[in-house]
Amino acid sequence: MRTLLSRFVGGLRALFQPQRTELELDDELRAYLDEAVERKMADGLSREDATRTARAEMGSVAAVKDDVRDVGWESLVDTLWQDVRYGIRTLGRSPGFTAVAVLTLAIGIGANTAIFTVINSLLLRNLPVAEPDRLVRIVAGTVDTTRNTCVWPTCQDLWTYATWEQVRLRTDLFDGAFAYSSGGAFNLGTAGEMQSIEGLFVSGTFFSTLGVPALVGRTFTSSDDVPGGGLDGPVAVISYRCWQRRFGGAADVIGQSLVIEGVRFSIIGVTPPEFFGLEVGRAFEVAVPVGTDTLIRGADSMMRSEDDALRIMIRLKPGQSLEEATTTLRAVQPEIRTGAMPKGFPELEEGFLTHAFTLLPAGAGTSSMRLRYEMALLTIFAVVVVVLLIACANVGNLLLARGTSRRQELSLRVALGAGRGRVVRQLLVESLLLAGGGALVGLILAGWGCRGLMALLPAGLTATPFLDVSFDWRVLAFTAMVSLVTATLFGIAPALRATRVAPIDALRHHGRASAFGGSVSGSLVVAQIALSLALVVAAGLLVRTFARLGSVALGFDSDRVLLVVVDAQRVPIDPVDRPRFFQKVVDTVRAVPGVSHAAGSMFAPVSGTVSQMRVDVPGGAVLPEGERVSLRHFITPGWFRTYGTPVHAGRDLDERDNAGAQPVVLVNEAFVRRFFPDGNAVGRTVTTARNDLPVGTRTIIGVAGDATYRSLREERQPTIYLPLAQWNLPFPLNPRIFISVRPVAGSPMALAPSVATAIAGVDRNAAFMFRSLEDQVYASIAQERFVAMLSGLFGVLALLLAGLGLYGITAYAVARRRSEIGVRIALGAGRADIMRLVIGRSLGVTAAGIVIGLAAAALATRFLGRLLFGVTPLDPATFVAVALLFIVVTTLAAFLPARRATTVDPLIVLRSE
Amino acid sequence: MRRGVTEKQSGLVQGTLDMLILKTVALEPMHGYGIGVRLEQISKGALQINAGSLFPAFRRLERDGLIKGEWRATENNRRAKFYALTAQGRATLKRETEDWEQQTAVIARVLRASAVKP
Repeated sequence: MRTLLSRFVGGLRALFQPQRTELELDDELRAYLDEAVERKMADGLSREDATRTARAEMGSVAAVKDDVRDVGWESLVDTLWQDVRYGIRTLGRSPGFTAVAVLTLAIGIGANTAIFTVINSLLLRNLPVAEPDRLVRIVAGTVDTTRNTCVWPTCQDLWTYATWEQVRLRTDLFDGAFAYSSGGAFNLGTAGEMQSIEGLFVSGTFFSTLGVPALVGRTFTSSDDVPGGGLDGPVAVISYRCWQRRFGGAADVIGQSLVIEGVRFSIIGVTPPEFFGLEVGRAFEVAVPVGTDTLIRGADSMMRSEDDALRIMIRLKPGQSLEEATTTLRAVQPEIRTGAMPKGFPELEEGFLTHAFTLLPAGAGTSSMRLRYEMALLTIFAVVVVVLLIACANVGNLLLARGTSRRQELSLRVALGAGRGRVVRQLLVESLLLAGGGALVGLILAGWGCRGLMALLPAGLTATPFLDVSFDWRVLAFTAMVSLVTATLFGIAPALRATRVAPIDALRHHGRASAFGGSVSGSLVVAQIALSLALVVAAGLLVRTFARLGSVALGFDSDRVLLVVVDAQRVPIDPVDRPRFFQKVVDTVRAVPGVSHAAGSMFAPVSGTVSQMRVDVPGGAVLPEGERVSLRHFITPGWFRTYGTPVHAGRDLDERDNAGAQPVVLVNEAFVRRFFPDGNAVGRTVTTARNDLPVGTRTIIGVAGDATYRSLREERQPTIYLPLAQWNLPFPLNPRIFISVRPVAGSPMALAPSVATAIAGVDRNAAFMFRSLEDQVYASIAQERFVAMLSGLFGVLALLLAGLGLYGITAYAVARRRSEIGVRIALGAGRADIMRLVIGRSLGVTAAGIVIGLAAAALATRFLGRLLFGVTPLDPATFVAVALLFIVVTTLAAFLPARRATTVDPLIVLRSE
Repeated sequence: MRRGVTEKQSGLVQGTLDMLILKTVALEPMHGYGIGVRLEQISKGALQINAGSLFPAFRRLERDGLIKGEWRATENNRRAKFYALTAQGRATLKRETEDWEQQTAVIARVLRASAVKP
């Protein structure tokens, strides 16, 4: 240990005081020689003889010094540094080559860094909280333990407030627990149009259990989290972003107030910049205690209802395993379940008591964005790796060409005594310099790229996506590793080849190239063409998928409807009167000039949110329980006309279907197909199955056309439409519904101002927000757009790089064979002969590349399966089109240099010899 | 690798040159040429170690903290770098000498045994 240290220090001293070390060695050697001469003279030799003998015995002073220098590790650093300086000089002498190589690598490395950064942020990174590995969340039902997710629709991860109260009583079984409700868009507006702010309801233990301290002020304590607000009244903790954006980072933000949903909250703290909440892909701006929900939502508050609204997380004790904790929790499960039994739902009790709790690791947070983009990101990652490989092949080819023209320099160095290893090292250092330059420029490109990628993410209905895509150590390590691997990939073959030189070559005049390009660069181009072709095929399939989704028949007119979110939270009416209130709003909006139809509904189409119900259909098809499921959609009359969805049989809903009338429903054609194979649905009845919220037994009065509500990709689901006026679930209608408005003509968005006035006219306490349905549809295929755009972009890039690669080696070969071509022309070769000579070889390379590429594509596109829609992985049209495209591009890439070859003037060439 | 070559050239078992130098300077601090001469004298001319082997060994031993150099005047009143053993060097020498003796004794025994029974 001490020896190692003293070696290290000695080496450092030699590195940083090279002159002193050198001079001392010189002195010592001189003293040695002097002493030798002295001794020999003492033995009777003349000074002259003594000096000569001593010199001869000592040998070359330079060699001795070299040997001494090689003792320490610093000599390696020294020669490497020499190589680096020499490399920089060499590269600096050919700025064109250097720029092209660095830029090509920068694109490849930059693309990889950008995608990896997003993957890192979304898939790999843990939450920025204390010891995230000890965080787990409570779920029940089917889980995916490899991805730590709850599998929809049979898994539950949201819980009632009563359940949280029961868990809270047993916190000492663990190292703390907390509950929170994510995804509330709080309204900061006092009247009229909403001003949304991304809000969180959190329990008093939230920040302390997570280990997130306040940057300014304080975070919540349990005494802040009591119904109606604690001693300090309603308090709020805001995020760093909110502090900067809404308060300009004001130092006196503590104590200022924020009016949320009409309730005045005083700000008590700001969280650190890196803390964005627990949902990766979103960022909270303000957090308020769960207890203040009674002020915000009154009777609808999660504390008074049986809403599954809260996520519950637990911090394990140090050393407590997931299994132990699960066992501990399940031991107290009966007490928790009994204590939290929902009142008024006797049909749910049995399932409720037996549904076992499961704990899932939650250190990486929860993320719907993660689930949605995981596959897409990994696919794009594979794509950019291929782009980098193609870039490597390009730079490798450049280096090969350069190696040929550097033969003289290299053979001279070998002639002067440089070992092959030393020359290879020199060339590899140059490759590393290129890759390093590429990495630096690539990091800048990646920074821009990440911001661009984030801009591709669509805004949700209420939430704006947010992902922290800053570079961390993992990203930098990744980039460093990628550039190292890259340098080795493109550098090693050219270096080995270039150093296969004999010293005698230095003396010869530059030799003639015998063949076009050489076999190595030829196979590099084949690989390049094959890789880029496979990539373009994949990109083509993904772009076609997006195009197909864009033209899916939705079953409604998406471009003709304005969506209005209407919130009656602060309208002073009894919650049970809400259906009547919304009907009044709909009627008022319908009367607005320019409005042709209007209707209200519980959900917006393609918003991703739907509700399902289990149904029994007396006299219908006999089906297993898992298939007796239908979407459930509450609407007002006028819905089908607003959306342009036809009602095929029976009648549409109208004013007669009100609260007092016979309970009715409409169903869609998919429902009829599944439950009534005979096709007769009108007049039959449906009823709620056991274990679900009862809507009673209802008569089917009509059959509507199929329409897409959840996802454009899935088959049309059986759907039941219930009149909002006949709301009979055992809790009040949500205060927030959607009103869809169809204009007589023109842009739906143009109606917004007059609709706003109309709604405010019904009750000035109603809050609302506008959105075009078209944006909503667009947002629902954002992931496909993301994949299509990126794969398309990189596909074009790959095609370009491959074209450039082929062009490069052909042009280079033409340049090197100028004299040969000149002689051929002088001997009578025609234009066509020369063209054939040049293009012939390129065609062979191209054909091989295309064939291999098509085969590779056929193998690779199978893995796109889940991402594709409306096209098969072996879609013939795409394969043929891409093959044709490549034939055109590669022919062009070979044709241009070939044409230049025919213009060679034999006289000029022969004179220059 | 170089280290192996230079010691082979001087006809020494690998690693023993370092031990011999340590032994030489253990008696009194000596300069480079003096060490070479002393080794030659003690070995009665059997070991002639040139500068190309000596100086890398000095650098190595100095780096490892086993010897320490100091500029002083020689008996001829010239300046030369005198090497002296450090405490660590002394410990290493003692240990290596014991190891060496043990090893040679073992080898000698083996050789003798096979000499008795051919």
